[in-house]
Amino acid sequence: MGVIKNQDLINTSTDFSNLELGIVDGITHPYVDQGFDNKGFFTARLDDVIGWARTGSMWPMTFGLACCAVEMMQAGGARYDLDRFGIIFRPSPRQADVMIVAGTLVNKMAPALRKVYDQMADPKYVVSMGSCANGGGYYHYSYAVVRGCDRVVPVDVYVPGCPPTAEALIYGLLQLQKKIKRTNTIAR
Amino acid sequence: MNDKKMSLEKKLKSQFGDLISNIVNQYGEITCEVTPENWQQICQQLRDDDQFSFEQLIDLCGIDYLTFGEAEWDTDGVSSTGFSRGISNKGPGRFSWEERETELIDKRFAVVVHLLSIKHNMRIRLKCFAPDTGVLAVPSLIKIWSVADWFEREAFDLFGIIFVGHPDLRRILTDYGFIGHPFRKDFPLIGNVEVRYDEEKGRVVYEPVSIEPRVTIPKTIRKDARYAENQEQLEGDS
Repeated sequence: MGVIKNQDLINTSTDFSNLELGIVDGITHPYVDQGFDNKGFFTARLDDVIGWARTGSMWPMTFGLACCAVEMMQAGGARYDLDRFGIIFRPSPRQADVMIVAGTLVNKMAPALRKVYDQMADPKYVVSMGSCANGGGYYHYSYAVVRGCDRVVPVDVYVPGCPPTAEALIYGLLQLQKKIKRTNTIAR
Repeated sequence: MNDKKMSLEKKLKSQFGDLISNIVNQYGEITCEVTPENWQQICQQLRDDDQFSFEQLIDLCGIDYLTFGEAEWDTDGVSSTGFSRGISNKGPGRFSWEERETELIDKRFAVVVHLLSIKHNMRIRLKCFAPDTGVLAVPSLIKIWSVADWFEREAFDLFGIIFVGHPDLRRILTDYGFIGHPFRKDFPLIGNVEVRYDEEKGRVVYEPVSIEPRVTIPKTIRKDARYAENQEQLEGDS
């Protein structure tokens, strides 16, 4: 196995025919040689750096309301291990960036949920987990249940399922990471 | 085992006589009825009397007997083509807050308690019907079993039964300022309010419910061939 030089792979910014596996490319991250390769520098747009920093430590506020919370715990546990994405559950909204609404939101809890959301520092994101949080689910026609937590807080990602598996929640969080990376903070 | 049940039944009869009515010994469980006037006294004796010693109150709950025994699907004597799935009446849960009706039937609300005697390894179920007229008042059991506190609050919240002598009879489960008693059969399943966050007011607001009531699972009482055994048993008992 020989040493692959970057210069061999990146000749122009448009010709990708000789790209080999291992080079990550995407619409949001075009690999463009800025002339700093292999010179001890790393360049990126400030927006990319901010996005990278935000996605690397999304600390979720735990808002476990029902059985979905058990799946959320599993996602945080040893097998699925959200820690490897830098996702660490926080018990305080002041320290959190993301709120995972996991379970049935009832009328009585709605003002409390909104208060916790308001207490979170910007930028903040909401993941709605499971059918009940998405739209009332099984309890849609109940007298006590909010028909979707988006009636109370703005939701970024909806994770379907009843309850969603831990994998599904992680997939939702990865989608949220993509969404954050695509958001421009400086250049609007 | 059954001997023990029989002897408990006999003991109840000899001890309380007419104060306890409708003693049923079915499915290995004893159920009997007590009037609200004797409710506290009999419970006290069942706890303190050495031959009963029901030290523990396992559960206390309410029952609404409105629409009891009424099914929405007729599964009795169906033809080979099956039975209709159309539901036309406004059964429990199928009406809105405006369409609700309050029916007056005799012996509509009851309080049920389950007792356990650890000493004698016995259980008993007591039922107390709230008065048909006036206030739905049943004496509180909180002085006999202190665990009755939250159970009675729950029964008050969901059925509107007043427990006389309860020191702190507040709602326990439903929302602050909730109107109605949701486990009553004449309470619409859809309720009367829903919540939403109001951007301008900056708080969660209550609004009249905006969707139509809908029940996805009809109330069915199975009496068809698969349950023939039960049917025979029921006929044999009566």
